[in-house]
Amino acid sequence: MIPLLAFVVVGFFGNKFKGGGTAIAVLSAVAAFALSGVVSYAYLTGDLYSTSQPYVASIKWLAFGSYELNFGIYIDSLTCVMMLFSSFISMLIFVYSIGYMGGEGKKKRRYYAEISLFLAGMLGLVLSSNFLEMFIFWEIMGVCSYLLIGFWSYKHPEGDEASMKAASAAKKAFLVTRLGDVCFMAGLFVLLWTFTSLDFTVVFDAANIASAETGMVILGALLLFGGVIGKSAQFPLQDWLPDAMAGPTTVSALIHAATMVKAGVYLIARSYPLFIQNADVMLLVAIIGAVTAFIAATMALNNMNIKRVLAYSTISQLGYMVMALGAGGYLIAMEMQHGVPTAGILATVGFTAGVFHMMNHAFFKALLFMGAGSVIHATGTEDMRKMGGLSKKMRKTSWTMLIGCLSIAGFPLFSGFWSKDMILEATMEPSIAGLAAGDIFLFLFALAAITAFLTAFYMFRMWFMTFHGKPKDESIHCHGESPKSMTIPLIILSIFALGSGFLIFFGLGDIITFNVSGSGAYYFGGDGHTPAHIFDAIVTNIWTYVTMGLALIGILLAYLMYARSLINPARFNANGRSRVYRFLNARYFFPELYDQIALKLGFGVAKGIDYLDKNLIDGTVNGISNAVVGGSGALRKIQTGHVRDYVSLIALGVIAIMAILALLVFSGGI
Amino acid sequence: MLDMITDFVDFVMPVAPHFILLIAALIAPAIGMKSGKASAIFMLAAGLFALGVTGYMMYDGGYNGRVFENLYEFNQFTGFMIVLFLIVLCLVVVMSYGSSDNKKHHGEYYSLLAAATIGMMLVCASVDLISLFVGLELAGIMSIALVAFKKNDPRSSEAAVKYLIISGLSTALFLYGMSLIYGLTGTLNINEIVNALAGQEITWTYAVALVTMIAGFGFKIAVIPFHSWAPDVYEGAPTPVATFLAIGSKKMGFVVFFKIFLLLFVAVRATGEIQELQWLFAILAAVTMTVGNVVAISQTNIKRMLAYSSIAQGGYLLIVLAVASDYALVGGLFHMFTHVFMKGGAFIVVGALCARGLSENISDYRGLSRRAPLIAFAMGVFMFSLAGIPPLAGFWSKFILFSAGVDGGTWIWLIAFAVINSAISLYYYAKVVKAMYIDKGTTTEKVKVSFNFKFAIAVCAIATLAIGFFPGPIIEFCEFAVKAFIP
Repeated sequence: MIPLLAFVVVGFFGNKFKGGGTAIAVLSAVAAFALSGVVSYAYLTGDLYSTSQPYVASIKWLAFGSYELNFGIYIDSLTCVMMLFSSFISMLIFVYSIGYMGGEGKKKRRYYAEISLFLAGMLGLVLSSNFLEMFIFWEIMGVCSYLLIGFWSYKHPEGDEASMKAASAAKKAFLVTRLGDVCFMAGLFVLLWTFTSLDFTVVFDAANIASAETGMVILGALLLFGGVIGKSAQFPLQDWLPDAMAGPTTVSALIHAATMVKAGVYLIARSYPLFIQNADVMLLVAIIGAVTAFIAATMALNNMNIKRVLAYSTISQLGYMVMALGAGGYLIAMEMQHGVPTAGILATVGFTAGVFHMMNHAFFKALLFMGAGSVIHATGTEDMRKMGGLSKKMRKTSWTMLIGCLSIAGFPLFSGFWSKDMILEATMEPSIAGLAAGDIFLFLFALAAITAFLTAFYMFRMWFMTFHGKPKDESIHCHGESPKSMTIPLIILSIFALGSGFLIFFGLGDIITFNVSGSGAYYFGGDGHTPAHIFDAIVTNIWTYVTMGLALIGILLAYLMYARSLINPARFNANGRSRVYRFLNARYFFPELYDQIALKLGFGVAKGIDYLDKNLIDGTVNGISNAVVGGSGALRKIQTGHVRDYVSLIALGVIAIMAILALLVFSGGI
Repeated sequence: MLDMITDFVDFVMPVAPHFILLIAALIAPAIGMKSGKASAIFMLAAGLFALGVTGYMMYDGGYNGRVFENLYEFNQFTGFMIVLFLIVLCLVVVMSYGSSDNKKHHGEYYSLLAAATIGMMLVCASVDLISLFVGLELAGIMSIALVAFKKNDPRSSEAAVKYLIISGLSTALFLYGMSLIYGLTGTLNINEIVNALAGQEITWTYAVALVTMIAGFGFKIAVIPFHSWAPDVYEGAPTPVATFLAIGSKKMGFVVFFKIFLLLFVAVRATGEIQELQWLFAILAAVTMTVGNVVAISQTNIKRMLAYSSIAQGGYLLIVLAVASDYALVGGLFHMFTHVFMKGGAFIVVGALCARGLSENISDYRGLSRRAPLIAFAMGVFMFSLAGIPPLAGFWSKFILFSAGVDGGTWIWLIAFAVINSAISLYYYAKVVKAMYIDKGTTTEKVKVSFNFKFAIAVCAIATLAIGFFPGPIIEFCEFAVKAFIP
């Protein structure tokens, strides 16, 4: 097995950095997927998996002080799942790019190099054996996304204004996620200090966690969660993701479905042993997730840009995943901390649901984005008001998109249905078990259920506006169906969006679990829910039918409003003038808030200090030196006059330092 | 005769690199009479030769020795710093040739450059405050002449005058501190001073002596509030000289700090605590990095921006003095090492573009990725490395430096400060990258950069990337130096 793994690493790194032409990039993605498949197969059928051990191979990278840093790979069932779906979807996106980016000419090279690096970053992150390595790949993806979102900044197909937007969106994405990265990095230091190592094998060891300082573990987990908020666009840093739509649609698909934003959720799943140490941390995670899911869904309600609707839905679904992980973790944490007995194996349903939804979401969101890309490719616009009636001209796209919509809306038997239902069940669980925060979870469940309704509504609003009815704008000319390289990935994905939900009954349920063994050790994979158990839980649960009903009502409402025009949407928004409408359109005024904070605080402070530096300090010094030197003020007129100010500044500085030292020495009492 | 030669070689061995450069500095003006190119090549050769000799001396356990009645010594630490300064010298020589800033007097220019480097190397090798002072002044006076080298540019002359006055003041402060120290301890040997001071209570005299010395060197490393000269001088001086000051002479200031204060803290650590001085450095570090980074945001001139970023980087390095552990010093030396390449590289790019007629305004860099793709890529690497984006060199050095602070637990607040600061710094570094890659330029005309600039930029970029991927050997190199430095 080891030579094989070595080959994986070489394959990932050797292939990726060449960039080169389309063929190399696509082939490398195919190779990456094939290797992921082989490695996962080898691991999941091997001895390590049956004994619930991760495979770890690492080499010493560098040592400094009392710390040692390794560079290696860490494979367990979670890694396998992540690796498989992200490389599979990336592969399809790469193939799709052949058609979509066909007209980019010389810039294709840069595009393929960057998306290859992006994929390498994601796979590296998933395979990392320690937090530092993970952080490195995390940042690589950040830089790549910066470059890719700004890809069209030179010559956006939609003109100059759009290029400007692309440039500023790239900067925003980079800087906002960077805020999360700072938290992540601070978390690294905290963990390094607490565990004197960043290796997963050390940090996730139950005995080590038990002997570590509890406060520091919690602080570390919270800081890591800060990183997740930035990367996975959770409340209150959700705002960069819709703006990131300025990049090519394939990039959006890559970011939303397979890679970057999933990295945040993966980080929570990966660091589950740390997160479950404290129930309150998990409660916070769940609340943030639910709030994000809800507000993003409301923002999607009245947006007219097809890609932005999808972006909001991504944020909303990410919120679901985070909420599921939080709710499940809360149960485990309560059991460990307070000995509250939970429904045993049900406790891990949150984890399973979160990861499972992440996988399903990858399939249907990639499908939706690529379908939207196909539409944009054919019509040349992203505005849904100008589309309509496309289903006749683009049959394949419209059918595959319909499957994607049904899946994300949670229509029974589609993949989104299973995972979404598990999430809702996991959220209900704490309140059923009668735990302290049960009421909060009941509220979260209500939010999630409303979100499910909203999701169904806005997704079908999008579908009906785009494909149904008559073309609304004659000036938009539809070129007809997109090339094969674009439709074939769509069809493949639609099969998965339709069917991947059933995988949970065929062994996947055992693979994506998180367990605490009798001896207190943590492990991923292993015993999970029996298929019959899950099926039973979903089918016999009354709430399942409630959410199903809500989803159906959502679809129906969208149908009545946008396909039949029986209910005029304008009645609700007073033709775009109502306060709620504007409030949603302005995204709850978050962008303004950021701008205010960033400009007023950041730039203002910068200006202020610069001003102080130039005027106030110098001015004070001037004043003092003028008083001292008296009549020689005339000398200031000559060009080097300022030097004297600097000199006085130094004199002042000496005095200030003396004062500080005196203060420290004589009041510090040392 | 042979005996005499071997005796002589033995005698000068500890200062062999200095000696080689000294000879080169004396010959350079003669060669410069004939052609500028020849003197540049000659100086580069001398620098590389000295580098080779130093490397040989450090190889395999290394050579240790003292010369001139214990005035100068050579050990792994000295060797490390000499290597660093020689690299700086070589980079500056390569970029100076072809720089539009100096048309005449090539020989003298390189001679001054070499002499300033000798001064900095002497500071590293000194074990006595007097010899240290000599080196300091040698480097300082040469630098003033270098700053003024663009004779016809009033900005250059203005910068030189400023530099002269401020450096005079700082020298005076340092001398004052030195005389007080002599009064307190009766010796000028650094090791003896440290031992004598370690046992003392803090008195007013002691405090004044230390503070004046901090102020004296605070000028060299541009610690807030002794920083105000730096942006003006960097902006006014010829770009190669600004590079030299930013990546060379600054490091010399740190060496002095390490030699006096770090050794003092280490000596005291054995007997008790000397927390208040460390606190003083921690406060200085926090203030310096914050002001440096925040002011850098609003700069539009790239040289001024780099000057403020240098101030901020100096703030990071001050963490070493606050934490005062072996491990922190490893991080500090490592950061100095990577800083040479990333900041040096950035300055060289600026110099190269200036030579092709681009202004120093960041807005002039718009669309550079089309006009000079490789240069823009290298600049991107330097900027991201300075901001500490993994896996580039700057990330590792910052990581090690910061994690040293976390080690003891006392300085976590300082590290939190530093982490937030490095996030702030990304804003202005990303601004340059954005200008180059994302903004649209007014022209797409290609920028042709001469070979020597390309070469120097390539060296820096490759070093930044290589250290990023394989930081191990350099860290080991730093560890050897620290072992020699802290007994």
